[in-house]
Amino acid sequence: MFLQVSNLSKTFGKEQVLRNLSFALDAHRMMSVLGRSGSGKTTLLKIIAGLESPDNGRVELEGKAMNETPAHLRNIVYLYQEPLLFPHLNAFENIAFGLRLRKWTEADIRQKTETMLDHLELNGQAKKMPAQLSGGQRQRVAFGRALIVEPKVLLLDEPFGALDTETRTAMQQLLKRMVAGSQITTIFVTHDLKEALLMGDEIALMQDGLLKKYETKADFVQDARTGVQEEIGFWTNIQSR
Amino acid sequence: MLKTMLKYTFAGAVLFPFALLLVFSFGQNWRFPALFPALWTMDNWQLLLTSQSDLAQSLLRSLSISAGIATAATGLGFITAKHIAYHPWRQQWLTLAYLPYIFAPVILAATLQFFFLRLGLAGNVPGVLFAQLLIAYPFGVIFFTGFWNDRMRAMEQLSATLGGNKRQTFLRVLLPAAQGALLVCFFQAFLISWFEYGLTTLIGIGKVQTLTVKVFQYIGEANIFHAALASLLLALPPAGLLWVNKQVLFKTS
Amino acid sequence: MAGIYKGKYASLGLFLALTALPIALGIGYALLRSMGLAGLGAEGFTLRHWEAVLSGGEFWRSLGLSFRVAGCSIGLAGVLALAAVLKAPERWQRGGLSWLMYLPLTLPAMVVAFVVFQMLSGAGLVSRLAYKLGLTSGIQDFPNWVNDSWGIGIIAAHVFMATPFFIILFAQLYQSERLGEYAQLAATLGATARQSARRVIVPVLLRQSFPTLVLYFIFVMGSYEIPLLLGSQSPQMVSVLTIRKLQRFDLADIPQAYAIGVLYMVFVAAAAVFLLRNNAEKTSSTC
Repeated sequence: MFLQVSNLSKTFGKEQVLRNLSFALDAHRMMSVLGRSGSGKTTLLKIIAGLESPDNGRVELEGKAMNETPAHLRNIVYLYQEPLLFPHLNAFENIAFGLRLRKWTEADIRQKTETMLDHLELNGQAKKMPAQLSGGQRQRVAFGRALIVEPKVLLLDEPFGALDTETRTAMQQLLKRMVAGSQITTIFVTHDLKEALLMGDEIALMQDGLLKKYETKADFVQDARTGVQEEIGFWTNIQSR
Repeated sequence: MLKTMLKYTFAGAVLFPFALLLVFSFGQNWRFPALFPALWTMDNWQLLLTSQSDLAQSLLRSLSISAGIATAATGLGFITAKHIAYHPWRQQWLTLAYLPYIFAPVILAATLQFFFLRLGLAGNVPGVLFAQLLIAYPFGVIFFTGFWNDRMRAMEQLSATLGGNKRQTFLRVLLPAAQGALLVCFFQAFLISWFEYGLTTLIGIGKVQTLTVKVFQYIGEANIFHAALASLLLALPPAGLLWVNKQVLFKTS
Repeated sequence: MAGIYKGKYASLGLFLALTALPIALGIGYALLRSMGLAGLGAEGFTLRHWEAVLSGGEFWRSLGLSFRVAGCSIGLAGVLALAAVLKAPERWQRGGLSWLMYLPLTLPAMVVAFVVFQMLSGAGLVSRLAYKLGLTSGIQDFPNWVNDSWGIGIIAAHVFMATPFFIILFAQLYQSERLGEYAQLAATLGATARQSARRVIVPVLLRQSFPTLVLYFIFVMGSYEIPLLLGSQSPQMVSVLTIRKLQRFDLADIPQAYAIGVLYMVFVAAAAVFLLRNNAEKTSSTC
C-alpha cells in the first residue's frame, strides 16, 4: 500500500478524537472522506501531515514509517479551509514559494510557475497581491502552490467551504483535472454529500473518531449512516406529492 | 456646522501645546501680564549647537538609549511572544507581562534601586538600559501575542508541509508577514523609553541625563525657555516616527 | 536567528528573569527593609513602620487622592471621547483629523505637565488673559488650579493625554464592532438616534474597552511626572509620596516608603484581579 494508517488514537483533554483508526490508500487515487465537524477529520489530516503527533498508531508512506519524520521532510501537503496565501507575496511568488525553498534556479522557477499559472487559468493575475484576488482565484493559487512541489500526498480539508455554489462547481472540476493530470495521491475531506460522491475515486465515512472505507460507491450509498438514503427519500417524497 | 466646530476645537486643542512650546523656544523674558515673551531670539536654539552644551549630548544619549531599547524590546518580544502565545498557560504568562505597568514603573524602580546599586548598575547608561528593558520588553511581549494567532500558526504549518524548515519559514514567511507589526512595536517601544523619566532618574540617580531628565532640570531651574526647547526636542522624533508609521499604515491597508 | 527561534526554554527563561524575578526581588527587599531587616540602620524585626503608615492619615489620603484623580481623569476623558465619536464616528478614522489625534501621543507626560503649568498657574496664560479681560486684578486673584489639593492641574493634564487616546480607541472599536451597521439595525427596529446611542453604541464601546479603561485607570493612579510637577505638597499622589519619602535624609522615612510601595502594589494588584477577572483574554487581544 502507498499510504498505510494503522491504529491511530488521539485524545485532547477528555475528548477522544481518534479511536484506533486505520485505513490504506493506493497511489494516484483520490479518496473522499465524508465527515461532519467534530468527527476528527482535521486531526487525522494533521497527523498524516506531521503537524500533530498521535498518542498511538503509525503512519507509513511507501512502506516507511513516518512518525518521526518532521512535517517539512514528509513531502505531504496539507491545505486548510482558507487559502492562507502569504500576504506579503503576489500570486506568482505564492505559487513559486516551495520551489524557492528548494533553491531552484530562477529560470526553472519562472518556467514551471508560469506553466502552473496557465493550468490554473490565472494568466494575467501573476503580479496581483492576495487581497486583489477573488475567493476562487485565491483558492486556485493555493492549489498551485501545493501541486507545484509535486507532493507524494495532498490533503484537502474542506477546500471549497467558503466558496459560492458556482465557483465551487468550477473548482471541483479544475481540481479533479489537475490532480488526475499530476497523478497525486489525495485525501479530500468534506461535509457535503454530493461533493464526496463526485470527487473521490474511493469513498469513506468518518464518524466519532473512526474511518470506514467502502469497497464501492454503491456500498456507500446503501449505508444508512452516510445519509444518502435519507437524501434520496427526501427528493422522492417531494416528487410523489 | 457643529461637526466643523468640533473639528476645529479638537485641532486647536491638539496643536496648542506645540505652538506654546515653539513660541517659548524662541522667547525670553515673559513677565506677567504679557501674553507673549518680550524678547524674540535664537539664543535658546543656539544652545543646541555650542559644543559644550550638554543639551545636544542629552539628545544623542536619549536617541541611542531609546533606539537600543526599541530594538531589543521588539526583537526579544517578537520571539518570546511566540512561545507565550502558543503556551497552554498563555494567560498566566501575559499577566506577568502586565505587572510592571500595574505596579507603576517608578515604584518598581524604587524597590529595585538597592540591587542596581549593588550590581554597579546605578548611575550609568548600562543600568538605565537594563532598567528600561524591564518595562519595554514586557510591552513587546504583550504587543506580539496578538500577532501569533491561529492564522499565523496555520501559515507556519503550511510552510512546513510545503517543505520549509524552521529557518526558512521564519525568514520567508513569519518575518515578512510581521514587518508592519515589527515597525509599529519598534515605534511604541521607542516612545516608552523616550518618554521615561521616573525609573530613569531613580536608576540613573540623576547622572544619566536623558532629555526628560534635562527637561525636569530646566523646569526646576525655572528656565521655561530652555525647558520648552528641550520639550520640543522630545516631541519631534516621535512626531517624525508617527509620520513614517502612518505611511506604513496607508501602504498595507 | 534560527537558534534563538528554537529556544523555547531560553525564551521563557529570559521572560521570567526580566519580569517575575525583578518583581519578586523588589517586593522581597521592600518587605525586609520596611520591617527593619535590611538596609542602612536596620534595627531588627519591627512592625512600627507599617503601623506608622497604616495608622497615619498620610498614606490613606494619598491613596484617596490617587483614586479620585484617576476616576475624574478617566471619567472626563471618557465622556469627551464618547461625545466626539458619537457626534462624528467616521471623522476620526481618515484624513487630517485622524493624524492630528495621534499627535498628543507624541508628547511625554512631563511636557504635558509643563504646558499645563504654563497655562493654569497663577502667572500662566489663562490668568494673564483673565487679567487682560479685567476678570482678575493680578496673580493673587487667580484660583489655585495647579499645586492644589484637589489635583485640578493633574486631572487637566491627564484628560489632555487620555482624550485623544480614547477617541482613537472608540473610533477603532466603532469600526471593528461594526457599530454603524448596528445603529442602522436599531433604527429599523424603531430606535431614535439617542436611543441607539444609549442602548447600543455606548454599551458596546464601554464593554469592549473596559479592560483598557481599567489599565489606564491604574496607569493614572501610578503616574509620577504629572503629579510631581502639578501636585500639591499634601496630599501627594502615591508615586510622588513614595519617592519623596525614599529620598529623605531622615532614615525613619525610608522603611515607610517601602511599606507604602508594597501596600500600593498589593492594592492595585487586587483591584486589577478583581476588575479584570473575566476579561483577561480580551485585554491581550486588543493589542
